[in-house]
Amino acid sequence: MTTLRAFTCDDLFKFNNINLDPLTETYGIPFYLQYLAHWPEYFIVAEAPGGELMGYIMGKAEGSVTRDEWHGHVTALSVAPEFRRLGLAAKLMEMLEEISERKGGFFVDLFVRVSNQVAVNMYKQLGYSVYRTVLEYYSASNGEPDEDAYDMRKALSRDTEKKSIIPLPHPVRPEDIE
Amino acid sequence: MAARGHVQDPNDRRLRPIYDYLDNGNNKMAIQQADKLLKKHKDLHCAKVLKAIGLQRTAKQDEAFTLAQEVAVLEPTDDNSLQALTILYREMHRPELVTKLYEAAVRKVPTSEEYHSHLFMAYARVGEYKKMQQAGMALYKIVPKNPYYFWSVMSLVMQAISAQDEKLSQTMFLPLAERMVEKMVKEEKIEAEAEVQLYFMILERLGKYVEALEVVQGPLGEKLTSELQSRENKCMMLYRRLERWAECNALSCKLLLKNPDDWQFYLLYFDSLFHLIDQSWTPPQEGTHSAEGEVHASISQALSFMEDRIATEEAKESKHLRGPYLARLELIRRLRERSCPEAQQLGEPLELMFQFFVKFGDKPCCITDLKIFLDLLTPDQHVQFINRLMEAVPLGAPGEDGVAFPGDTRALQRHLCVTQLSRSLGQQHALNTQGKLGLIKELKAHYRHGLQFGDQNMLWQSLGLLEEGLSHSSSNAQFKLLLLLLYCRLGAFEPVVDLYSSLDAKHVQHDTIGYLLTRYAESLGQFAAASQSCNFSLRFFHSNQKDTSEYVIQAYKYGAFEKIPEFIAFRNRLDHSLHFAQVRTERMLLDLFLEADISSPLEESVKSMSLCPEEDDILWDSLRDNRDLTVLVSWNPKDRQLNAEHKQRSLEDDTLWLRLRSLTLRLIGCVSALTHPPASRNSEKRTENGVAAKPSSLRSLLSQLESTLNQATQFTEKQLQYPFVGPVPSRLAQALSSGCCQCQLSSLQLPLHLQELEAAGLDESTELQTQISNLFKSLAVQLQDILEKCKGDPLEVKDSQSTTQHFLLENLVYFVETVCIVLWVSNYCVSVLRPLKSSLQKKKKKKKEASTVTPPVLSAYQEFNSSLQSLLNQALEHIKSQEISLTALKLGALSLEGQTQSEVRTFTKMAMDKVQSSYLRSLQEIGELLKKRADTLKSLKI
Repeated sequence: MTTLRAFTCDDLFKFNNINLDPLTETYGIPFYLQYLAHWPEYFIVAEAPGGELMGYIMGKAEGSVTRDEWHGHVTALSVAPEFRRLGLAAKLMEMLEEISERKGGFFVDLFVRVSNQVAVNMYKQLGYSVYRTVLEYYSASNGEPDEDAYDMRKALSRDTEKKSIIPLPHPVRPEDIE
Repeated sequence: MAARGHVQDPNDRRLRPIYDYLDNGNNKMAIQQADKLLKKHKDLHCAKVLKAIGLQRTAKQDEAFTLAQEVAVLEPTDDNSLQALTILYREMHRPELVTKLYEAAVRKVPTSEEYHSHLFMAYARVGEYKKMQQAGMALYKIVPKNPYYFWSVMSLVMQAISAQDEKLSQTMFLPLAERMVEKMVKEEKIEAEAEVQLYFMILERLGKYVEALEVVQGPLGEKLTSELQSRENKCMMLYRRLERWAECNALSCKLLLKNPDDWQFYLLYFDSLFHLIDQSWTPPQEGTHSAEGEVHASISQALSFMEDRIATEEAKESKHLRGPYLARLELIRRLRERSCPEAQQLGEPLELMFQFFVKFGDKPCCITDLKIFLDLLTPDQHVQFINRLMEAVPLGAPGEDGVAFPGDTRALQRHLCVTQLSRSLGQQHALNTQGKLGLIKELKAHYRHGLQFGDQNMLWQSLGLLEEGLSHSSSNAQFKLLLLLLYCRLGAFEPVVDLYSSLDAKHVQHDTIGYLLTRYAESLGQFAAASQSCNFSLRFFHSNQKDTSEYVIQAYKYGAFEKIPEFIAFRNRLDHSLHFAQVRTERMLLDLFLEADISSPLEESVKSMSLCPEEDDILWDSLRDNRDLTVLVSWNPKDRQLNAEHKQRSLEDDTLWLRLRSLTLRLIGCVSALTHPPASRNSEKRTENGVAAKPSSLRSLLSQLESTLNQATQFTEKQLQYPFVGPVPSRLAQALSSGCCQCQLSSLQLPLHLQELEAAGLDESTELQTQISNLFKSLAVQLQDILEKCKGDPLEVKDSQSTTQHFLLENLVYFVETVCIVLWVSNYCVSVLRPLKSSLQKKKKKKKEASTVTPPVLSAYQEFNSSLQSLLNQALEHIKSQEISLTALKLGALSLEGQTQSEVRTFTKMAMDKVQSSYLRSLQEIGELLKKRADTLKSLKI
């Protein structure tokens, strides 16, 4: 009961219901345009029969191929409150993984607030595991302390030995990640 | 900042500190360092440009430009200078100069791939498609790389898209683009997916669907791999265009088997099915049904296909998909529309919807799913339907007050869904007042908000309930939006600022929901907040103009050709945004109201905002309404939902108001130019920011304002109402009823007559003087009338109930705005009358005449000036007394009828306090401005 299609600029005028969620960031226009110009296939929106936007996923492919680090990355994934608990996020993740498979990625990774237990559990259910903790990755604006992120990964078929997801023993700083 | 290579060119080393200063925002030091360097190395051009960047960033635009041009005329070919100039021109918003720069560079170094590519991008930034086409080909000739060739092809497509003449696109640009690609295909030189995408785009725009299909299905189509289902989606689109229903049907079948939840393919499946039936399609004697496999061309096949889909779902243990069940309802609807008796074979909609509710009722989207199919029920089934659903909601035993509560969140969700459906069916609206109150009580007991309007007491309760809700769910956007809307409608803007900022609306959201903030701030007299809200939006729009072009260039680089027209359309959509035009206009008006002739003279304010009365800066025919009017969720029945007509009306409403404001603004510019004609009167050339209003533009703007006012009056006479959770009405109706528009028009007409007087002189103008004197008198009367409409208590307590009359605040704002305009016009009057008076006195002295008959126009103006004085005193007195009585008002003493729970009472009290405080603030800000205006009256005596 969903129409899945490529995200277009016009959707930016309609995504309030999704983005007024406190955990969903509304980025500046350049950020969206950069993704649309560079990785349009990774930016997918789900639309309800009435035309309301239900949710979207935004991602990219990056990393060095020679160092076995070529991978898909989930930049944003959000579903509007009234379309939750339908497995929509899982469907969108599945699509992103398939695209990354086709591009010959070794794994898919994403960052999530350590406090966002609902999301962390969902990603675990989808086969992701914590690869490392990134200290103070999310900067807070209102004087509260910055928050750590989990860098979660799932190996793709190209990484036959699942080397890419072996957890790092120590947390890293944001400036140490690529 | 500019790229710094690894090779240690001594110049690079010398320039490095300047780059660093600029990067760190230390522009002063950058300039000093550049000066130092230039003393030693006069010919280090780049240092000059870097200095210019420093100057530009310290607001010395003219100096920066002169310096940059010194380098530009030398036609530099060193990387450092070129890149620095590019950055500078971009910051100056002069991208067209970058093209000149690289045109010169490629002339001097014709084999440079880099410069040619910069030239292409420079053209792309300014949208010079023809030159892009040539630059692309020139590049390809130097370095035969495919992307360059296809940049050129894409530039042809862009010429086609932007051509005014559709015929030219179809017969010249697109065919040429097609031939260019075909050449590469024949030579087997096609390499990338982007190239195939572009080929497809061209064929599609040419309407060559058969050819496009061949490409997608042929070997070139194999390159279409990035996007999921890219080939299938494209084929489907083409089958539809070609009306190849058999293929369309077979392909949707296949895709539905793969993903039985994809709604778009159900719709295509049904569409194609009925087309095939209408065409009496029969399968071929032998071979496959179609290129896409088996075709369904009869109702019985469709019925069994649907049954299979449902059976598959039923067989699943968990994670049932909603698609098949909803598709069954959709099929019933379509069969009924065609009066097919087979509709009954699929089952009774009431029963099917009940089963759907049993399966999916605990999902929040169940309401939006079922809402679409409510019209399958007959009106007499409504009650039965809701009762049936209610039975499937597990509620606990009723408590003391007879209300039974759901035990867990799933049950709560079900209960919510039934309540929403019952609202959608109009059952709640059908209740009488008693019934509605009972329902509210019940719903409140269920901890939710049921909003009913009409009674102010009810409004307070709603506010209280929502405030309570927000205190429990501090990130619920719907609570915030509803509160925001209610406070605005009550005329209380102060709480809105915090609510809006807690929504964390940013960037594009300033365009889509910024209207919630900008509509009310100014009209309620919260001027500081109004300025700030306009600034939020303006900052976004201005940065968009610069940013978007960069991504058009990125799209070329990455070969995302289909995104190029999309980005350009997006940029235009933002540039032509209604909200953009509104905040631009209101921001200027606001600045004038607050500052002009208070902190600086009117003409300086006008000059500093580059306001040019002759030029209309709004493209009225291209205005885009980007407001998100559906941001608030509504479960109301269809006749109370926002519809297309409301949207159209609201756009008309807002546009009319904008027209009035924009004309007023330009007329103020005219008045300013009349009062202080530009110094360089003799020279024909107008300075860039200068204002040179001709009397003709005053006359034409006045007649435009008059006719727009007539249109506006007709529009408001229709007294249209929008749904509560729909668009907010513009200020038009209230402004008209306050009388301020008419009064502003009258005052702006005065200069025309005074110009005549100036030409005629005092001696030969008795009739004209009488006419002007009457206009002064009428203006004073009109102002008095507006002021009368401001009198009364904005917050009133009667019989232990409090009611608001917030329109009194709005009227006060209109009064102040009108006073501002009247005073500016007075200033012009003074500039005409004073010289006339002094020349009269000189004459008198010469002739030593004893008789002192003051010309009527002079005495009339003096009278007008003193009536203004008394009007302003009255107004200030009124505001002061309102402030005192509002401060003394004790809302806490009110008995809040019908509010049994002390919890709710606390929150209602809180809401009332917020309103009270906001009103006080509005009064203070309005009073302050009025006082400042009153102070300027003294200087307007003659």
